[in-house]
Amino acid sequence: MATVTVIGDEVRTVEANVSGDQLLLAPELLPAALGWKLEPQGLCRDDTCVPVRDSAALFVGDQLDVAAVAAALGRPAVVDAGAGMVALALPAEARRQALDGLVAPSFELADLDGAVHRLAEWHGVKKLLVTFASW
Amino acid sequence: MVGVAFDDSPDDVRPWVEGITFPVLIDPDHLLTELYAISNVPTVIWIDEQDRIVRPNGVAFGTDMFVEFTGVEAGPHMDAVRRWVRAGDVPIAPDEARTAVGDLTDDEVRAKLHFRVAATARRGGDDATARRHFERAAELAPDDWTIRRAAMPLTGVDPFGAEFFEMYTAWQAAGSPYHGLQA
Repeated sequence: MATVTVIGDEVRTVEANVSGDQLLLAPELLPAALGWKLEPQGLCRDDTCVPVRDSAALFVGDQLDVAAVAAALGRPAVVDAGAGMVALALPAEARRQALDGLVAPSFELADLDGAVHRLAEWHGVKKLLVTFASW
Repeated sequence: MVGVAFDDSPDDVRPWVEGITFPVLIDPDHLLTELYAISNVPTVIWIDEQDRIVRPNGVAFGTDMFVEFTGVEAGPHMDAVRRWVRAGDVPIAPDEARTAVGDLTDDEVRAKLHFRVAATARRGGDDATARRHFERAAELAPDDWTIRRAAMPLTGVDPFGAEFFEMYTAWQAAGSPYHGLQA
């Protein structure tokens, strides 16, 4: 058992097993790790379910392979089993739709004092989003 | 105006925003570089009252301090912003706005994930893991400044030193690739 950091929609930690370059997860820990749950109809979160054609293929023995679950969700992932770290991207389709539809993707980030802000806070006014860096 | 800094900690950002009265957010994991397909800074995006992008990713500056290096004057963009705010004039057509950015490639997305793993590992004190993933990120997206240059100060490299100029030369030789409107 190792404590694994999952960098996805948020950063979570969860206990998982390392097997070679795979990270394996007890199915009941999937919601704590990724926010999704494996149901008979597929991978589900809130009212959304992503159908999974062959859910047996997500398993190694009685445990879920994190990389296979990410792939089933259509989310590119980098798994470093040795370091106990996983990072998941958004589904590429979601980004493509936002770019094509000119819809500003929502986000949630802290300011320098730690207060969290969302794009929706400034709904109704024009916004100039200025990204920069010290480097 | 909303500022978003692709920096590791608030202390890295504070010296740059003294006296600034608009909100400044910090994005240490570069989430917005994935969401908005951003590959360099400064990148400015115009977003209207209904949260629609009217002018997508573009290079713009607040002053002419670096104009000799970048060739991009601050004035024309600032004038265009004023016309948009006052009169609602949008300088580009929606069809152009739609295609100007260009989606990230699979390698660029993976590079951003490797960067995220590296930055998180570094914050946790695991420098060996951090270095490995910063290197992999740079291999996958050699022309993404939010990866390669951002990694420099995090790996003890001067972001204004020789490695920066090497990257700049290679980036120019590759045709100055940028996800957004050409300056």
